[in-house]
This record gives sequence, C-alpha cells and structure tokens, in this order.
Amino acid sequence: MTPSRVAFRAILEKDLRTELRTLQSLPAMALFAVTTFVIFRFGLDRTQLSGSLASGVLWATLLFAAILGINRLFVAERHEGGFDAIRLAPIDRTALFAAKAAALIVYLAVLEAIVVPVFAIFFLDSAAAIPPLAAILLLADIGLAATGTLIASMAVNSRARDLLGPLVLLPLVVPLMIAATGASRHLLEAGGPGYERFGTWLAVLGLYDLIFLLVGYAVFDFLLED
Amino acid sequence: MYGKGLKPLSIATVVALAAGLSLVFFYAPNDADQGFIQKIFYLHVPLAMVSLVGFIVGGVFAILHLRSGDRRWDAYSYVSIHMSVIFGVGVLITGSIWAKASWGHWWVWEEPTLVSYLIVFLLYATYYPFRYAIEDRDRQARYASVFAITAGSFVPLNFIAVRLSESLVHPRVFATTNGGLPASMMFTFLVCLTAMALLWVTLVKFELTAKSASGQVKRLRRALDAPPAGPRSRIAPEVS
Amino acid sequence: MSLLPLGTPALPLDEAGKYVAGAYIVFVLLLVIYVSIMAIKLQRIEKELRELATFAEQGPSGTPERGAAQSSPGPPERGAEQGSPGTPGRGAEDVPVDSKTQPAGGSDRNLVPSEATAGPSAEIRGSSDV
Repeated sequence: MTPSRVAFRAILEKDLRTELRTLQSLPAMALFAVTTFVIFRFGLDRTQLSGSLASGVLWATLLFAAILGINRLFVAERHEGGFDAIRLAPIDRTALFAAKAAALIVYLAVLEAIVVPVFAIFFLDSAAAIPPLAAILLLADIGLAATGTLIASMAVNSRARDLLGPLVLLPLVVPLMIAATGASRHLLEAGGPGYERFGTWLAVLGLYDLIFLLVGYAVFDFLLED
Repeated sequence: MYGKGLKPLSIATVVALAAGLSLVFFYAPNDADQGFIQKIFYLHVPLAMVSLVGFIVGGVFAILHLRSGDRRWDAYSYVSIHMSVIFGVGVLITGSIWAKASWGHWWVWEEPTLVSYLIVFLLYATYYPFRYAIEDRDRQARYASVFAITAGSFVPLNFIAVRLSESLVHPRVFATTNGGLPASMMFTFLVCLTAMALLWVTLVKFELTAKSASGQVKRLRRALDAPPAGPRSRIAPEVS
Repeated sequence: MSLLPLGTPALPLDEAGKYVAGAYIVFVLLLVIYVSIMAIKLQRIEKELRELATFAEQGPSGTPERGAAQSSPGPPERGAEQGSPGTPGRGAEDVPVDSKTQPAGGSDRNLVPSEATAGPSAEIRGSSDV
C-alpha cells in the first residue's frame, strides 16, 4: 500500500473510532433530526406526508442535521495539530480530504439509517419507497461529503467558523437538494413510488458528485499550504 | 501599469452604450407578445450574461493565483467577482421589474434562469464574509481562490439543475429570450451585450487602477517613513 | 422554442413605459453610485499624496527637499535599510524575503511587487518638482 493509502486508512479509522468512542456528533444529529420532524408536524399541521411535502421535510431536515456534523468535522484536527501532522508527512495531502469525506459519508449513512425509518413511521403510509430512496440518499451523501469537507476545512481556520460553514455551504448544495427532492417527491407519492424522471435526477446527482469531488481533489493541497 | 489603455476602453464603452441605447429605443421593433416591456430584455440579459462570465473569469484568475502564488491574480479575481456581484444586483432588480411588468408579481419562481441566478448571487454574496473571517492575508487569498474556483464550477451545474426542475409545460416568463429572435432584435441584443462586456472590463480595470494607486501611496508612505494613514481594508487585496 | 402566447401583458402600455424607464434608471443609478464611490476613493488618494508630498519636502526632522531623493534608492533594499525602527508596525510587516513566492525583491508580503521597479524612483523624484 502506498503511504497515502496508509494515511487515508489511518485517518479514517481514527475518525470512526473516535466517533464510536465519544459519540459526540451522531446522537446529536439524529436527535436534532427527529425533533425537527416533530416541529414540522406541528408547523405544517399534518400527520401524514406524501409527495413534495414529504420530500421537502425529509431533505431539509437531513441537510440541517448534516450541517451540524460538518461543522465538527475538522475541529479536532485544528485543536490537536492534525493539520500540521499532515503537512509534515511525506504523503499526498489529498489523503486528508479523502479520509474526511469518507468519514462524513459514513456519518451521514448512519444518520439516515436511523432517521429515515423514523420518518417513515411518523409520516408515511408504507416503507415501499425506502429502497429506491437509498440510492438517492447515497448519491446525495457523496455530494454533501465532498462539498462539506471542502468548505469545513476552510471554515475551521476562520473566525466565525460555526457561522461561515453553513453560510457558504447552503447555496452550494442547492442543486443537490433540487435533484434529491426532485426524485424523492415521486418516490414518496401517496399511491406508491413513482419513477418519473428518476434517471435524470440520478444523473444530476452523479454529475454534482463528480464535479465537487474533482474540485476538492484539485484544490485541497492549496488549502493546507502554510 | 493598470491605467494604461483605460482611456480608449472607456471611450469604446461610451460609444457602445450609446449605440446600444439608440438601437433599443429607435431601431428594435416591439415584441409581438410582451410589447414595450420586452425592451428590458436588452438590459437584463446582457447584464446577466456578462456577470456570469465575470464569475467564471474570477475563477480562472483564482486558478492562476494558486498555480503561480503571485498575489496579483488574487486581486484580479477579487475585483472580477466584486464587479460581477454589483452587476448581479442590477440583474436581480431589472429581472424583478421585468417580472412585475409582464407577470404582475415582483418575483416569479417559474422563471428558471432568474432563480438560478439568484442562487448564484447568494453564493457569491458569501464571498465577502468569507474573506473577512480569515485573518491571515496570505491564507485569505488562497482560501478565496479556492472559493472562486468552487463557485465557478458551481455556476453551470446550478443552471442545469434549476432548469431541469421546472415543469416542462409551464410557460416561461421571459419567453422571448429563446430562439425566434428576428434579426433586428438579435443585432440590437448583440450590440448591447458588447456594450455591457466593455463596461465590465472598463470598470474592472478602473477599480484595479484605483487599487494600484492606493498601493503606490502606501509604498510611498513606507519609503518616506511617514506615519501610517487610516484603517486598511480587511479583505480587499492590495495591488501595487 | 417559439414565442409562447402570453396573452396581453399584465399592464396597459402606458404603465409599461414606466417599468422600462424604471429598469434603465436603476442601471444608470448603479453606475452613478459606483462612480461616486470611486470618486471618494480618488479624493482620499489625492489627499494622502498631498500629505506625503508635503512630508517629503519638509522631512520628519525638517530637512527640505532631500527627503524625497534619499528615501527611494534601489528597490530591494528600500524596506530593509531605511530607518525602520522609527515607524511603528513595520517590524511586523517586514517579513524576510521569501524567494519562493516573491518574484522580485520586497520585504512586505502584503504588497505585490510591481513590474516597473525602476520607474517609481524616477516618478517620485519627478513629482517633488510639482
């Protein structure tokens, strides 16, 4: 294995192990999401959701919960000198980008594994939409991870870091949300999942993921320069 | 020397703008459907196109900055984005006026290009607090370049996504902007587009010259050991 | 895409004129606001230059005329050799020349070295005659 691969695995394992041991982000994200569902129930005055309303509530909640997690992504690196360690190591620095993005994908996947069934129980008639929804969730997670990691790595070195991350991230993920909700609203239709324009939206999600993974890969080196 | 060429450029801009305005009001025919209101098209669309290209140009300058480490490119990138944001304010206001005139509402979500533009504008509006939040000037320049590149890649993707999100049967508000433009309108449009592009370039050059002059004053001040002047900008890159 | 029938515009034609005028006026206003802001900046630059010219002529210790010629020798040494201790804050700004990122000389990392390094000396000397 090349040194970069070793570093990638090491960082990823460290992050996952830390999260498993301290459980500082995931439970908060999940709890936040579930409480937000309750707020939506009362805010919209609905007990059943379907179609565009369902997909809107689901994706808005997931997005804001994800932002909570993204904010915390690089905090440990900053406090404990992780950035310096990477700078000194004779490896490709994009290993840090890759590892952090991978960790974020894992967090988001776990979050969704908890939150989406809760959503189904709260608001949906049947769970038939969940398997195709998983595909959308996966692609959206990759896109969120790419953009989120990139922005978080810059925001963590700034003054208003809790504010700056979400501020810059939100407009950037709008196309992702458009595609994700575009596909989900048909999947969550009252009469059973519909697949109108499913392929188109998958393509847009894929394109988004590709572009931002490439951009992140290309520029991350410059972020770590001293 | 940034000021070099500014004079011929400004003259060309004035001539083009005058030509464009005259064509719009004395030559271009009234649109069959929207009537006189359609004249806003010659203002709104060139402003939008030029500012979008300006954002991408800002991204290109950012790439040059990262690759060369020369901070001059960062200044070019900042001014390009700054000017495009200003043009963007114009785009949104004229777009809103056009929507009110032809659709009755000050904002229409059904017009995909206007909505896409709003999202792009919101993104670039975060450029300023983003720069402001990073204190180290060197890092600020680098991060700003990363932002400009990311945002530049975002622009086309955003337009695709928003366009796809529109229901295909809903009539567009700004329907005249696509195909079917008679030659006289197209000619007028192209002249206006050229005029806006020249205006953008002139103003960018103008701003860079002013920054350069400020920078030279600071150099002079330093060379003469004169006491420092007032507060410096936290974000605008210095040029000299 | 052919022109979709939108029916009559939402407003009668004389109203429409107002909106078109409004849009063009907004454009002109933005332009004028921008020019005024730049004019204010220009004023400030002019004021500072005037102050500096006076300062250069009189010098901090009152030596007339010589300050201008002396304070601009060869560009790379300018920052390092001029009485640095006197000016507060210069120490923080004088970063050792990093040949990796600085193409030409220049001890201040916030300034981008300009192309014509020989030019300014001549220009400064020239302006003290004004």
